[in-house]
Amino acid sequence: MKEPFHPKIVSFLCKWCTYSGADLAGTSRMQYPPSILPIRVMCSSRVNPVFVIKSYLSGSDGVLIGGCHPGDCHYQSGNYHTRRRIAILKKVFDSIGLETERVRLSWISASEGSKFARISEEFTGKIESMGENPTKKKVFL
Amino acid sequence: MRLKIGVYVCECGPNIAERVDIDRVIKVISSLEEFEDIELVVKRYKLLCSNDGQAFLKNEIESNALTHLVVAACSPRDHESTFMNVCKKTNLNPYLFNMVNIREHCAWVIPDKAKATEKAIRSIRAGIRRTLHQSELLERELDANPDVLIVGGGIAGMEAALMLADEKRKVCLIEKTERLGGKSIFYSQLLSRQGNSAKMIQQKIEAVQQNAHIQVFTETELESVVGFFGNFEIVLKVGKETELQTGLKAGAIVIATGFRLLNPNKLPQTVYQKEDEVYTTLEVESMILNEGKISLKSGKSPQSIALVHCVGRDEKGYCSTICCSTIIKIARMLKAKLPQISIRVYYRDLCLPHKTDQQTYEEVKAEGVDFIRVKEAGIQNTSIEYTQIDGVKKKESADMVILAPAMEPADGTEALAELLNVSLGETGFFQEAHHHLNPVATSIEGIYIVGAAQGPKGISESVAQAQAVSGKILNRLIPGEKIVPEVKVCKVLEDFCTGCQTCLEVCCYGAISFNEVKGVSVVNEAVCRGCGNCVASCPSGAMRAIHFTTPQLYREMIEAIR
Repeated sequence: MKEPFHPKIVSFLCKWCTYSGADLAGTSRMQYPPSILPIRVMCSSRVNPVFVIKSYLSGSDGVLIGGCHPGDCHYQSGNYHTRRRIAILKKVFDSIGLETERVRLSWISASEGSKFARISEEFTGKIESMGENPTKKKVFL
Repeated sequence: MRLKIGVYVCECGPNIAERVDIDRVIKVISSLEEFEDIELVVKRYKLLCSNDGQAFLKNEIESNALTHLVVAACSPRDHESTFMNVCKKTNLNPYLFNMVNIREHCAWVIPDKAKATEKAIRSIRAGIRRTLHQSELLERELDANPDVLIVGGGIAGMEAALMLADEKRKVCLIEKTERLGGKSIFYSQLLSRQGNSAKMIQQKIEAVQQNAHIQVFTETELESVVGFFGNFEIVLKVGKETELQTGLKAGAIVIATGFRLLNPNKLPQTVYQKEDEVYTTLEVESMILNEGKISLKSGKSPQSIALVHCVGRDEKGYCSTICCSTIIKIARMLKAKLPQISIRVYYRDLCLPHKTDQQTYEEVKAEGVDFIRVKEAGIQNTSIEYTQIDGVKKKESADMVILAPAMEPADGTEALAELLNVSLGETGFFQEAHHHLNPVATSIEGIYIVGAAQGPKGISESVAQAQAVSGKILNRLIPGEKIVPEVKVCKVLEDFCTGCQTCLEVCCYGAISFNEVKGVSVVNEAVCRGCGNCVASCPSGAMRAIHFTTPQLYREMIEAIR
């Protein structure tokens, strides 16, 4: 029998908002799938699109980037830069035939523990329905 | 030297112990093949953040001569600094320590113990991998100047100056006009029931002038500011002859430049000439203050007065928050002075945020002031043209019209923002670091904003902000104490820098400059906050975010998905 698919989702979380939101999901004892693998960064703008590509080509089934809501960035405008970079990255993904739905950028504030849990759930569900990352261990960068 | 990493798993009482199989975590981590040339010490402890736990950790670091430390416990937001302080008591550099969150991100959110354990193992493995790429960082200490420069001598600036001077801080208070007090000296009353406020303001001005710790410069503006928190060097432009005063130093700068009222003549819906009986709220207040009465230019008393709210609100795009209570206050003063006349107030929405506002409004209405709700209102000389809520257009005239124009940033706000390198928000006022959590700080450490310079507000809020800023400064800049600048900053690897200057564009702190001679970017580490935006933007990989370097994050990520 085929083993059930448990996706792995690398999640770059901004220290000020989304990471704190994830903490709140924990302290509020919410539940979300174990697929989310958090990497703490100072700001979502630290996430070089190359990280996303690298983690995707290294076998991550999805990549989540979490930052502060527009206008709420701890560093004023970092998340606006993130938004542009991820938008361009998705175009790049699209143009070389990769599935753009595997990359998700979400604004989750420190008080939105339930939103973090909901998005983790939703995104995991989406990735589960899409199946394993097709490039896994086939493409190198 | 052989690396020796200590991995300590905290039980956090039952919090982690009951939800994660710690014995399995220890077994798996101890026998990981990929770390075979590294010695791992893996142990569990009941509560690492307790005093006993910290003593245990300190002893472990020393007795095992650990080269790196990983603690798998709660969120780093809770106890990262606790464990870094433990490292500081030993020979282990605190930046060779890494914290893995297996409580909020594993134990508390994954009900299935086996799955929680699996994720905990994955996270700890990634944490160990990251730690291997971390390097020692040294915190530097810098002397800090505890003196303060305050720009703007209105109520907010004066209040901050007095608070700081109370603690014997040397304050330099500069004011663009020839006198202190700002707009507050035009107010005849602060609230509808508080007697003569001019006297209160005058007493404050005198207190500032007589205070030995406060040096007041009137008719003075900022010429230049260089430096950073704790060490600003300031040049002033003093007097009408604009003589330059150099050599001034301060540790912090407070922006208290206040506001101005929008000029209603600029709006197409308010058309009037100078000789018309049309006044702004501030003009009427100073008329009452100086002449003690309300009169027309002919000297006669008006028989009817119209007050119009929200002049310029649509154009500015924000509510100035104090105009409603100001109009109600003025209406009450007019009614007291001229009880027989007709007073009509044309409003669109009422904004009554303070606890006594609603009551005052009810009372003024009961005293016979008419409040007319309109969709929009404009004036043509002293006649009011308005649209009722039901859409019917009407026209009424009055002997005198009082307009409540929007508050807008003071003259010179843009130039000052550029000089200090702090940002302005969409409304043109100075932008606070965080609307909710850090409302008096700016993006630049050591530069603060108070009063109406930050956004429309009245005297009580301006005073509260001034007191808040004083608290912040007294708390952060202590005479004789050194400051420790952030070590997690960004650095340029000059050999890789191609001089494209993309990083200069994305840095919102102005921390990066360009060295024309070498053709490379240079980071001012005292100003950098280490967000890492420049690192992600650099096309040639020349930027490095210390403690969040690309190898650190990359290795952590690869290990997490392996």
